[in-house]
Amino acid sequence: MNSSAGESTSLLRRIAGQHSNELGLLVAILAVVAATTIFSDAYREKPLQNAQEILRQTSLLGVFALGAAIVIISGGIDLSSGSVIAFSGAICASIMLALAPHDASGAPDTNNLGLGIIAVAIAGTLLVGFLIGTLHAWLITVVGLPPFVATLASLVGLRSLARVMVQEVTTVLMPTGRTTQIYIYDNAFNALGTRWWIPLVIFLVLSVACWVLLSRTVVGRHLYAMGGNENAARLSGIRTDHLKWLAYCLGAMTSSIAGILYMAEVGTAYPAVQGLGYELNAIAAAVVGGCSLQGGVGTIGGTMLGVVFLRVVIDAVAKLVKVGADEYQGIIVGVLVVLAVAFNELRRAGGGLRKQFFPGVLGLLAIGILSVLGGSVTTMMFGRSAGAIVFVGAIVVLAARKLAEYRASRRASQAVSS
Amino acid sequence: MLPGRNFVAATAIVALTIWTGCNSSTSSTGEGSSATGTKRVILLTNGADPFWDAMFVGMQDAQRDFKLADAGLQTKMEVNDGTPKGQIDRLRQFANQTDIAAVAVSVTDSKNPAIARAMEECQQAGIKIIAIDSDVDRTMNRAARFAYLGTDNVIGGQELGKAAAAIRPDGGKYATFVGLKGAANAIERISGFGEGAGAKFAQVENLGDDMDLSTAQKNVRDALDRHPDLTTLVGIWAYNADAIVRVAKERGIRDKSTIVVFDAAPKAVAHLSEGNIDAMVVQNPYEMGYLGTRLMKALVEDDHATIHDLYPSYNDETKKFDESNPDGDILTTGLRVVHPDSGSPLKKEAFAETTEFISLSDFKKWLADHNLTGS
Repeated sequence: MNSSAGESTSLLRRIAGQHSNELGLLVAILAVVAATTIFSDAYREKPLQNAQEILRQTSLLGVFALGAAIVIISGGIDLSSGSVIAFSGAICASIMLALAPHDASGAPDTNNLGLGIIAVAIAGTLLVGFLIGTLHAWLITVVGLPPFVATLASLVGLRSLARVMVQEVTTVLMPTGRTTQIYIYDNAFNALGTRWWIPLVIFLVLSVACWVLLSRTVVGRHLYAMGGNENAARLSGIRTDHLKWLAYCLGAMTSSIAGILYMAEVGTAYPAVQGLGYELNAIAAAVVGGCSLQGGVGTIGGTMLGVVFLRVVIDAVAKLVKVGADEYQGIIVGVLVVLAVAFNELRRAGGGLRKQFFPGVLGLLAIGILSVLGGSVTTMMFGRSAGAIVFVGAIVVLAARKLAEYRASRRASQAVSS
Repeated sequence: MLPGRNFVAATAIVALTIWTGCNSSTSSTGEGSSATGTKRVILLTNGADPFWDAMFVGMQDAQRDFKLADAGLQTKMEVNDGTPKGQIDRLRQFANQTDIAAVAVSVTDSKNPAIARAMEECQQAGIKIIAIDSDVDRTMNRAARFAYLGTDNVIGGQELGKAAAAIRPDGGKYATFVGLKGAANAIERISGFGEGAGAKFAQVENLGDDMDLSTAQKNVRDALDRHPDLTTLVGIWAYNADAIVRVAKERGIRDKSTIVVFDAAPKAVAHLSEGNIDAMVVQNPYEMGYLGTRLMKALVEDDHATIHDLYPSYNDETKKFDESNPDGDILTTGLRVVHPDSGSPLKKEAFAETTEFISLSDFKKWLADHNLTGS
């Protein structure tokens, strides 16, 4: 009996050790939800509506965060997600506008498109996503551009192209002439983004598919191997160019799916502003979920939890800060990304004081900067008293950490010299 | 020790800080809605601009005059990021909260079905919704709000067009510059300008800048580059005036150009004082905020007599608008044509009787009386 209990405990410890990041995130999500439930009426009085809205927002972000995570795990980076979202929305709306039946005035009527037109538009958009991914792979593997540069070009170029395209399409197809937006009024199509469970189902199906790919197939293991050490992977016979093609196509196609969903959500293709800056949210979600930007590290489960965590925190800020909450979202996301990466570094170093965050003069200056930054942000959000508490608290906590690091370093030096 | 614990601890600290801060803010100002049980009456803008500050001053004065605090209400302003998605997300967030009584929305995109849907979701959640400054498309989405309160933008556009025609009787080519071309107020003002200016004027450009100030200037440069014979520059949104004047100065074309603009942004008032703008058609955001707050309080309290007072075609017994008057749910706030103190060819007779014709000096005095820098 004792031996069996010991084995169970050992198994649990092993699982906890292997999935410590995911467990940490799960507990963090529960902590934030619990805190918001305690301090805001909204979660207590409208639990269902709030859960549905968080799940919908999580799914919309999660769809293309999965693609971003696969690219990061494979050792690359995709900065183009936001522009691919805008471009895909514009493509999807343009196809629907072109195929829409005409009303009595001769204008395309997007109120009742029918499933056939919607299916063709979605298929066309996914094809465009595949082609964008292929272009990225060609630029990176054949032309030799760094992934950052190749996808940066798309980030800038695709949005611009989408803006021009929408104006050209409306000039040709709309009797009223050139416009910067295309409106889609079909309820069945718009439901793709507005019914909370549809993006959720799409997100879950994609998550399972990505998990199977990464965790249960040879291709998945090769993606990790390439991300960890591309040269070693190539020398061991792995066709890295093909793997990059796959990774960037998955990145672009998940962004295209997100583009369709976001366009359906707002009923408008408006490439000037659609998806602006979303690529950074996807990368942040993947990083918070445990993906390393150096490649070879990360999981689909972690990315999913990273997305949920970001959305839950953003919603908590909206509930607690009340007015102008979105202005603080960037600060919160920035802090969380830094914390997540810092603690991942700490974990890799073995925890405790093995990783020195504040060595020497640079560490001293960093303590000052972080304390002033924390105090200033808190002052702007909540007033001077809260800012003063955070400022003093940060100095005390970080100085204590520096002192402990210094002592540990001294002990280590003494042990080496003796 | 689980490495994940560190992350949990950090999150707990962040959450605790937010909560502590919220509570400290609440106790220090005595205005926090969650602590005192007051509900929010919100102005949801379409973007960021000093125009909204003037409207919010009106809301705060109405809060004092109509004793909103006694009714457990307080006014707040939520600034949108200029995008339809931003407005949709904010409205959905409102619908899922418990301390919001009413929202006045300046609709970012009148034809956007999702904004109308989000407004309806708020109504279903018990929140009173009105449109202010910029309405929904009235043929498609009228039910998304209780009523509209703001400028009649078509008439506003006509008045600006009449001003341009009076300054430049021979007409010429004109370009319009605006933030979002899809916004209802933009469409209506531009259409009205063409009607007011008359057949001697021809529009050669209508450029949107997506509320980017740098793009706003670039649009003016581009229009001048493409049309060297462009003579009339029309600012449709408040900040467009500054962009036009800067480029006109930069190109040295002020003497041969007619510059007419909407709204009296603080910089536009300064430009008019320096002789760099020929005429301004000014809305009254202060009055919009003031009346909008009065209306929202009446809606929250089911005060049908006040609603009838504001909208005469609203029947306070049947609690419906008179169906024989299709635009009975529109309350138009005043318009002003502001002209330079001297040397202007503009005459009051050229404009509608309901439009106030006011000199720059008198307008500045009005601003000072209301503690405003722009309108």
